[in-house]
Parts: sequence; structure tokens; C-alpha cells
Amino acid sequence: MTDPTTTRADTASCTPDDVRTLGTPVDGRVPDVPAEQAWDDRRLHYPLVAPANRRKFTVIVVGTGLAGAGAAAALGELGYDVECFTIHDAPRRAHSVAAQGGINAARARKVDNDSVHRFVKDTVKGGDFRGREADAYRLGQESVRVIDHMNAIGAPFAREYGGELATRSFGGVQVSRTYYTRGQTGQQLQVAGANALLRQVARGTVTLHTRQEMLDLVVADGRAQGIVVRDLVTGEVRAVTAHAVVLATGGYGNIYCKSTLAKNSNATAAWRAHRRGAYFANPAFIQFHPTALPLMSQWQSKTILMSESLRNDGRIWVPARADDDRAPEAIPESERDYYLERRYPTFGNLTPRDVASRAARERIDAGFGVGPLKNAVYLDFADAIARLGRETVVARYSNLFHMYEQATGDDPLSTPMRIAPGAHFAMGGLWSDYDMMTSVPGLFVGGEVGWGYHGANRLGANSLLSACVDGWFTLPYAVPGYLAPLLGTRVLPHDDPAVLEAVEAVHARTERLLSTGGTQGPDRFHRRLGEILYRYAGVTRTPEGLAQGIAEIRALREEFWRDVRVLGEGAELNQELERAGRVADYLEMAELLCVDGLDRDESCGAHFRADHQTSDGEALRDDTTWCRVSAWESPAPDAPDARFVRHDEPLTFQAVPLQTRNYA
Amino acid sequence: MAGSPTSTRPGPDRVPAAARPATTRPPVPATWVLKVVMAVTGTIFGVFVVFHLVGNLKVFLGPEEFDAYAHWLQRDLLAPLVPHGWFIWIFRAVLTLSLVAHVWAAVVLRRRARVARGPHRRQGMRTFRSFQARSMLVTGAVLLFFVVFHVLDLTTGTQPAASAEFVHGSAYANLVHSFQRPAVAAFYMLAIGTLFLHLAHGLWSVVNDLGATGRRLRATGAAVAGIVGLLVLVGNLLIPVAVLTGLVS
Amino acid sequence: MKLTLEVWRQRDAASPGAFETYEVADATAEMTLLELLDRLNDQLVEQGREPVAFESDCREGICGCCGVNVDGRPHGPQANTPSCEQHVRSFADGEVVRLEPLRSAAFPVVKDLVVDRSALDRVIQAGGHVAVDAGTAPDADTTRVSYETAEMALDFAACIGCGACVAACPNGSASLFTGAKLTHLATLPQTRQQRGARAVAMVDQMEHDFGPCSTFGECAVVCPAGIPLSAIAAVGKERMRAFLRGRAS
Ligand SMILES: Cc1cc2nc3c(=O)[nH]c(=O)nc-3n(C[C@H](O)[C@H](O)[C@H](O)COP(=O)(O)OP(=O)(O)OC[C@H]3O[C@@H](n4cnc5c(N)ncnc54)[C@H](O)[C@@H]3O)c2cc1C
Ligand code: HEM
Ligand code: HEM
Ligand code: SF4
Ligand code: F3S
Ligand code: FES
Repeated sequence: MTDPTTTRADTASCTPDDVRTLGTPVDGRVPDVPAEQAWDDRRLHYPLVAPANRRKFTVIVVGTGLAGAGAAAALGELGYDVECFTIHDAPRRAHSVAAQGGINAARARKVDNDSVHRFVKDTVKGGDFRGREADAYRLGQESVRVIDHMNAIGAPFAREYGGELATRSFGGVQVSRTYYTRGQTGQQLQVAGANALLRQVARGTVTLHTRQEMLDLVVADGRAQGIVVRDLVTGEVRAVTAHAVVLATGGYGNIYCKSTLAKNSNATAAWRAHRRGAYFANPAFIQFHPTALPLMSQWQSKTILMSESLRNDGRIWVPARADDDRAPEAIPESERDYYLERRYPTFGNLTPRDVASRAARERIDAGFGVGPLKNAVYLDFADAIARLGRETVVARYSNLFHMYEQATGDDPLSTPMRIAPGAHFAMGGLWSDYDMMTSVPGLFVGGEVGWGYHGANRLGANSLLSACVDGWFTLPYAVPGYLAPLLGTRVLPHDDPAVLEAVEAVHARTERLLSTGGTQGPDRFHRRLGEILYRYAGVTRTPEGLAQGIAEIRALREEFWRDVRVLGEGAELNQELERAGRVADYLEMAELLCVDGLDRDESCGAHFRADHQTSDGEALRDDTTWCRVSAWESPAPDAPDARFVRHDEPLTFQAVPLQTRNYA
Repeated sequence: MAGSPTSTRPGPDRVPAAARPATTRPPVPATWVLKVVMAVTGTIFGVFVVFHLVGNLKVFLGPEEFDAYAHWLQRDLLAPLVPHGWFIWIFRAVLTLSLVAHVWAAVVLRRRARVARGPHRRQGMRTFRSFQARSMLVTGAVLLFFVVFHVLDLTTGTQPAASAEFVHGSAYANLVHSFQRPAVAAFYMLAIGTLFLHLAHGLWSVVNDLGATGRRLRATGAAVAGIVGLLVLVGNLLIPVAVLTGLVS
Repeated sequence: MKLTLEVWRQRDAASPGAFETYEVADATAEMTLLELLDRLNDQLVEQGREPVAFESDCREGICGCCGVNVDGRPHGPQANTPSCEQHVRSFADGEVVRLEPLRSAAFPVVKDLVVDRSALDRVIQAGGHVAVDAGTAPDADTTRVSYETAEMALDFAACIGCGACVAACPNGSASLFTGAKLTHLATLPQTRQQRGARAVAMVDQMEHDFGPCSTFGECAVVCPAGIPLSAIAAVGKERMRAFLRGRAS
């Protein structure tokens, strides 16, 4: 067997041209009006479905996170026949539940000069001009309704003493527009959304399928017409067909293995859809969260996130002298380096995530790291306690402090926290046009599985917002707009060749995983993949490193299919099989991630290439060549010498002129 | 069934549990109704034993006071609201009905609890509170037995529960004679201890079953439950102890 | 350190289960309980034995996926802490630790340590929501909500739906879970409208699958969200209120 993966493994110094070709550009189908009018204009032009006809349409929604629960509930409220799927045992468990900090909204109630325009400016600029301006406008405009709606359905937002909604400010902005519920914003929004979904289940408009994993997409006549799911308890594989499919399956940050995401977060649904023709946008854009907990032991299963809101009151520092082994309390003020305040006096500890992460990484790599593994920096509340009093600080952060103490055994009130950058949020995702539709007609995305809004770097508290807006206020307009012309068509019959082929493909893959009979469990491969990615596609990237990464990933993937060991059977609850399927997809996707990083020959946002930086170490964008989205198409996995195909969507900016991001 | 996809709308057996519409009927009578019955009847018993204690303590005031009190209870209480002599029968009727309702509700609830818990007993958390709660049925049964014995002993004077010297109307003497039998006194003391266990937890349950959610109300309720329990324990214990030590004779 | 693990193994809901004994020789104090299971599974896979199925997701105490009985106690030895945040430092070197699924008749075992907790969702599905459709909500600032009210609602809204309260309860009661949701929604002015109907629907559904509450209080000891025990009183309160006032509000 001439295996391309092994022959390529030693050609570690590949160039973009070795691994990709250029395809035709893609069209974002943004309305041809000024960006701030785009959403009004588009809504005016969407075809409508009359209420009596709505139940004739079946829509599949995969995922019950903020995006999925919102979309399914809203479509159900409108009267569509919704089939909703989740891998969890209950809709409330989607990973949106873990978000802590807050949700942005351009409600602009305070006189701090906030507005929808400023929200767009912050979002576009924060994303380093690699997202769509019109999308950001829609996000800002609908944000108002999101807060009102989530409040009405039971999210107990924090209130001021006067009874109005409280806000706080988040990294990257100078206004206070982040709404929150203690440190449990995601939980409260998610539970409210999931309960709204259950209300529709009780009404019979939504059929909920728990513990079912989408393993493939059914594409027939060039349209997405169904999915293949595996019942995680019985192992049964079956197809479900519909008029349209909405994917809301969350982000792929877990590809790094040790990430802030939940253990079951995965890229499988997105990657399978990609394999069926949905382009993948900007996979290299991964945000590393600056306030994650550092790894403390070999068996640590993930990195835990400490909410960014901690940076409101905590000060970040490292010892001024490398390899300083003293306890933090023993280091006098004069021998501490508050490097964020030093380098970015305006934003200080609240610089955007990518800047903060990189600055931390730079200090750690330069030998100033703290903690037993010297892989962290301090986040210190001593000043805040002195300034605000212990009680106020505890009131603001008590559950985060508690969480930290749980995880580390240290009390942040008496000794500084230790934090380090950890893989966190995927700005990249399935490419979609302005209507949230992917390159496969009838396949929509919502929330983190898509690529929208965040460009090359997401602003804190914007992603809960985007998931909510997509679910409650964008897809319920866009999906009917797609369905309207299909009135009178039936869902695909289950004996259609496309359905049979997709089901067969899932069976074959499952069979292959179960019968490989190797020696290493999937977790081991996942851990090794994570190490490769952190090393070569982490906070700072180099072309050589990425090329090396590609080679190592290919070798690992080859080893996986040779040596993976999946115990148990297919027709039962088999978590090992679930993990194996997901790792197999990560092993394919990781290559694309590195290819994208290698291809994008600039630094922007979270994608920092060491070969593109200013003399003082800041990211250097290349707007002439790279003011565009890379929407990727992948070759068949085992095709020899096949190349990834890059389709471009050029980006233009009218309302927020291109400028260099500067947080100094 | 490899390869053959099932229909879009899964049949009833295929619908995952969470998707089943919640048309299931609650048990009859509703659990919350039974809890209200428990709470109301339990409160009646609680009030009764407190008043009973006050009356019983008149033992220390001497035979005349005590017998007069017993007589008043039987004949004059609530008169002229109700004719003389009626009170005791109204009272007995309420108490008997309550007891029946209380025991019935208790048994139904415990059966439901048993079914809901399933076959596996959960261990690992043993506190005084959970001991009390766990033993409610046992303590209740002891109390039931005690009450029957007690009525036979001091109200009807039926042998062998009552002492050989029993005389209708001489409450004080009957009591002293009864408690002078060490085995009977011991049984009374055991029953009084049991009553404490049952009542202290029972009244705290009442606070919860009747929906006291406010912080202050709950604190008060917890205190009342504890204090009443202790009072009934200590107060009633004094009597057999006093008889046994000859303080009352 | 070395730990001996007695783990409940059960193929599926229909099969009987039994404990199997394993040893993890290189446990460390910083490991969480679930990381200990990860370690065990890695070892089992290496030996070609099927790994232990258990649920977890966020591993930071918020999703409510995790939950095992540790020596008979839901979630583990540390009070008010989910399984994913229980640490090996609670155990002594050489200790024998017994791991079981959450036990309750309402939670049938799916496999090994995985149980089906969808009965909880059926309670929410019955009425734990607010009848406001997307886009129809009024401005969130028009209804003022005092700081204290919002904070109180949050105290009860914090429930992570793990089901440990049910597993801890010797009666298999879901009163803490149901009461938490009822209190959360009854506290906020904007979600109060269907208060009565909600109470009827949720309590009726709860009573179908779960046992009565006898105020054991053990649910609140294990609850990782720290739901106050007053939630159990809210069940009776809201249900009686609905009964006395008629269903609607
Ligand atoms: C620790 C943490 C903290 C965060 N804090 C914030 C914050 O403070 N503010 C902010 O704005 N953002 C925050 N984020 C980001 C934000 O939470 C997410 O971007 C957002 O919640 C994603 O929502 P979603 O609906 O797209 O996906 P998710 O909530 O992840 O939901 C995915 C759903 O898809 C289902 N699913 C996945 N794969 C499959 C499959 N193959 N088949 C069937 N179903 C599947 C899952 O069961 C789940 O229901 C945070 C993220 C993390 C990890
Ligand atoms: C005179 C004696 C008694 C008194 C003062 C008394 C008092 C109480 C009180 C106050 C409660 C709490 C009610 C609640 O849960 O709301 C209670 C509960 C209970 N009682 Fe009694 N009771 C008495 C007799 C009995 C008897 C004779 C039995 C039984 C056989 C019994 C069995 C129970 C049980 C099992 C409970 C717990 C009910 C539950 O599960 O919630 N009691 N009792
Ligand atoms: C030391 C403790 C007690 C003493 C000295 C005592 C004394 C008496 C006496 C003297 C009577 C008879 C009154 C009469 O017929 O004239 C009586 C009746 C009764 N006692 Fe007690 N008692 C004690 C404890 C209790 C307890 C603990 C209970 C309940 C749990 C109880 C329940 C009753 C009842 C139900 C009657 C019958 C009332 C009636 O119908 O007339 N007693 N008690
Ligand atoms: S009330 Fe507590 S123990 Fe019960 S489900 Fe909620 S979080 Fe878990
Ligand atoms: S343990 Fe059970 S009995 Fe009530 S107080 Fe808690 S639900
Ligand atoms: S794994 Fe999410 S709460 Fe424990």
C-alpha cells in the first residue's frame, strides 16, 4: 500500500503550495446596502411561510446549547415540526452551561457613550478585521432583544440596587455592556433556553432526541436533507430526514485535548458536514484564554477556565527576575513585573484575550513563569482587597474563588491565583453566508460551530450573544426564508440511495474503529494530538513549526488507524467508541487547522505568526492579501497527493475603516 | 438491524424518555395532600401532648388539684360553648380520627418512599436528624402501642394494663399505683423518649410541609420543634421518676 | 498513593450488576475522583478490559453530568461538591473506595455508573418554563427587580440538575430539585404569571416518579449547587397556594 501519509511525514518543510490549491471564491450574499441596514433589508426580502403551512416542514436541529435550544424552540413556537438532537442526556447540559463571565448587549443604557455602532466597532476591531461587518451589525441590533427575552424566560440577571439590570465591562472594550448572573451567566441562559425548548416538547412542536449523536449528513440533490444519528445507549444507527438541517453543535477547541471545553464537546458533526461539502472557514483561528488554570499534573483531564471578569479587579504579574523561586508574598512590589500594565497602559489588565495570552506565553517562555511547573503567571487580588474591601471582592467573585480553591487547594484571597493560557474558543467553524447557510444549501449553522462575527479573535462575552442571536433571532427568519420555496416537497424517503449510502458509511466507520484491534485507547491519541497542536499551532506559530505539525499529525493519524484499540461493542453504550470517533475526526481536522495556519501568511488576532510581527512584538496584519476569509474544502481522507482547496470570501469594511489594532 | 433506517417520527417505544409528554397522572391521593394530612394531624397531636403535659404536671400540686383538673377536663372544658360532658367526646373523636388518618397517611407515604428509593439502600450519611426521620414509623408504632396501653391503664382501667388498685375517678391514685410498677414506669419512660424522637422531627417536618420558606419563620419553627420536643421529654419523665423515687405517692 | 476501587459493573438496564475490584497504584492527591476513573480506565484499556462507563462533561461543577455514589454517598465524601470536584486527597493511602451509580428507582442504570435521570427533565417539561415566545418580551428594565430578589432567585436557580438530591434522599424524593425551580420562578416578578399552573404541573409530575419528602435533609448536604433546604418547603407552599387560589396565577 502506498500510503501518502508516511511518505509525506519526512517532508516536514512544506510550503502552502504543497498542501493546497485555490478554488473559486465564495459569496457571502450580504445585502448590497450599507452594513447597518443589511439586516432590515434582508428581513424585508425573506419569503414567508404561512402559519398553516409551517407544520408541513420538518427541520432538524442538532445541539441544544444556546444556539440549538433557541433555534429549536423558536422554530417550534412558530409552528414548524422540529426534530432536535443532542448527545447529552438532557438539553440543559450543553456546554453553553459553563460560560461564566457574561453576555454583551448594545443596549447602551448608561451614559458611557455605548451604541450599536460602537459595539460593531469593538467587535470588528477586536476580531482584527477578519469577520463580516454586516454580521456584527446584526449581532449588535438583535442583542437588545436577547437580553429582554432571556430575562423574560427566567434568567435572573444581576440587578443594581435600584432594580435595573447591572452590567460590567469585559476585556477589549471601554464601556460597560456585559450583562451577567454572578459567575454563572452561561448556566442561567442555558437553563432558561433548555426549559423553553422543553416547553415546546410539551406542546408537541419539538421532538427531542437525547443521547443521540449525529455522525453524518445526508446530502441529496445538492441539498442537506437529513442526518445519520447513532443512539448512544442502544448503538442503533438510523437516518432522519427533513427539509432543512441546523447544526448548533458548538466549538472544536477540544481538538487541543486540554482545553476549557467540556469533555464531550466535539467537532464530529461539523467535520462530517464538512466532509459532505460544507466549507470550513478559518480553522486556525483559535482563542487561547489567558485566565485558564495551568496544568498541575499528568492526569489532569482539562484546563479549567477562570472567568475573564477576574481581570477587572485582579492584577497580573510575574517576578521581575527569571527563575525567581520565592513565594509570591515574599516578592516585594519593586521586584514584580506587571507586564500588561507596563506594555499596554490604556487597557492594562483588560487587554483583549489574544494580547494577554501572548504576553503571558512570552513571559513564561522567557523563564519568568511561576508555579511548580513554571507554566503560569500570577493574578493578584491584594490591591483590589485593599481598595474595595474583602467583602466586595468576595461578593463579586465568590464562586470563582471557590472553584479555584476546589481545583488547586489554594485560597485566592490570601495568595495570588496562578493562571496560564489555554485553548478555549473556536472563531473558525463551518463557513456560512449572511443567512447562516453553509455552502451546502439547506444546512444552517448557529453558535460556535459557525465562523461568524468574531473574525480572528472573539471579544469576551460576545459568543453567548452570538449563540443566542443565531438561535432566537436569526435562524427563525433565515430558515423559513429557505423553506418557503420548498412548500409541497416531501422529506427524503429512507430508501433513497443518498440515505442508504450515508447510513452505510457510518456503519463502515464504526466497524472499522471496532475491528482495528490495536493497543492504544483513543484518549492516548487525543493527548498526543493535543501536545502537537499546542507546540506547533499554539499561541505563537511559525511556518516551520506548522509544517512539522502537519507531518506529525499525518503520522499520528496513520498510527491511529493502525493501532487504536476500541473495546466493547457497537450495539451498546460504548463511550470508548464515541471517543474514538471524535478523535478520528480531530486527527483529520488538525491537519486542516495547521494547513490554514501555514497558508495564512500574516498575523491577525489570535493567529500570531512569529514571522509577521512588528519590532515591538505586535501582530502584523497583511490587509492587501489577507483581508479575506479562507473557506476550505478537504480532499477525501485517503486520496494520495490530494490537496486542500481554499475558497476565498473577500471582506470589505465601510463603517469601521481598516486600522491597526492597538491596545497600547 | 444494521443498515435499515427507522422512520423520522420514532414509534412510541423509540421516543427517548425525556421526550415523552408529561401526561402521566400523579398518584391518588396526591402525595402533597397526604403530607398536609400528616402535618395537620401531627400538629393536633403535638398540641395535645403539650396541654396534656401541663395537666400531668399538676401531679406535683397534690391529689386534689389533679383530680379536680381531670374532672374539669372530662366535664367542664368548653362549657357552656358545648354542653357539659361533651368536650371529652368531641375531643376523643377528633383524636381518634386524627390517629387513623395519621397512621394511614404515614403508611401510604412510607410505601411510596420505599418504592421511589428502589432496591438499593443508601448508606454513608448518618446524622441524628436522619436517624429520627428514618425511625418515624417505628417510633410511631411504639407510640400507637403506648397510647392503647395508656388508655387501658389510666382511662378505662382495664386489666392487666391498669394496676389492680384502679378506681374510676381517682386519677391521681391510679397514676401513682400504675407507676409504682417498675416495668410499667420503664415502659412509660421508653415511650416518652420515643415521643421526643418522633415529635422533635415531626414538628420540623410540619414546618416544611406547611410551606415555611422564610428564613425567620423556619428558624422559629426549628426552635419550637426542638423546645417542644425537649419540654415533653423532660416534663413527662419527671412524673414516673417522681413516683419511683417516692417524691409523689 | 494506592487505592482499591470497588466499582459497580452492569452491562445494561436489564442485566444484574455486581461490584468488581480494581487497584490504582499511582493515584495522586491532586487528582479528582473522575481523573482517578480516567486513570483506571486507561489501565483497563491497556489490559484489554472494558473501561468503566461513567458520565461527566464540564468537569468544573456546572453541567450536572457527573454523579457517582462514593461509599454510599452521592458525589463523594466532601459535602456540597460534585463528583468532578471531589479530590483523591479526601482518601487515605491504601483505602478501599466503593463506587456505585446514583441510586434511586427513578434513575434506572444505563450502564456501569451511568444512570438515566430524564425523570428530572419531565418535571421541568411539565411546567418549569415561562410562556413567552421569542420576540414578545417587554424591555427587561421596565420591571424592576430588587437586588435582593435577583440574588435570591439566583440562589435557587443555581441547581445543576445532577440528581444527587434524589440519590441522597432515603425516600427518593426530588423535592429539593423541584422546589429550587419553583422558588426561582416564583421569586422573579417577570416569571410569576403562571405560578399556580406551574406548581400544579410540576408537583403532579414530580409525584409520579419520585417519593415524598420526610425532611431527612440529606439532599441539601450533598447538593453541589448549595440549594438551601427551604426549597423542599417551597414544594408544599406552592402546591397548597395553587390549590387555595385556583390554578392560574
Ligand atoms: C469555560 C467557558 C467559558 C465561556 N465563557 C463565556 C462568556 O463568559 N461569555 C461568552 O460570551 N462566551 C463564553 N464562552 C463561549 C460560549 O460559551 C460558547 O461559544 C457558546 O456557549 C456556544 O454555544 P453553542 O450553542 O454554539 O454550543 P454548545 O453550548 O457547546 O452546544 C453544543 C450542543 O451540540 C450538541 N452536540 C455536539 N455534537 C453533537 C453531535 N455530534 N450530535 C448531536 N449533538 C451534538 C451538544 O450535546 C450540545 O447540546 C465560554 C466558553 C467556555 C468553554
Ligand atoms: C400521639 C402520637 C403521635 C404524634 C404526636 C405524632 C406526631 C407526628 C408529627 C408532628 C409528624 C410530622 C408530620 C409531617 O410529616 O408533616 C408525624 C409524622 C409521622 N408520624 Fe406521627 N405522631 C404520632 C403518632 C404516630 C403513630 C401512632 C404513627 C404510626 C404508625 C406515626 C407515624 C408517623 C410517621 C411515619 C410520620 C412521618 C411521615 C412522613 O414520612 O412524612 N405517628 N407524626
Ligand atoms: C408521664 C406521662 C403521662 C401521664 C402521667 C399521663 C396521664 C394521663 C392520665 C391520668 C390520663 C387519664 C385522664 C382521665 O381519664 O381522666 C391520661 C389520658 C390520656 N393520655 Fe396520658 N399521660 C402521660 C403521657 C401521655 C403521652 C406521652 C401520651 C401520648 C402520646 C398520652 C396520651 C393520652 C391519651 C390519648 C389519653 C386519653 C384521653 C381520653 O380520651 O380521655 N399520655 N393520661
Ligand atoms: S438540587 Fe442540588 S443535588 Fe438536586 S439536582 Fe439540583 S444541584 Fe443536584
Ligand atoms: S433528603 Fe429527602 S426527605 Fe426531603 S429533605 Fe431531602 S428530599
Ligand atoms: S462534570 Fe459537569 S458538573 Fe461534574
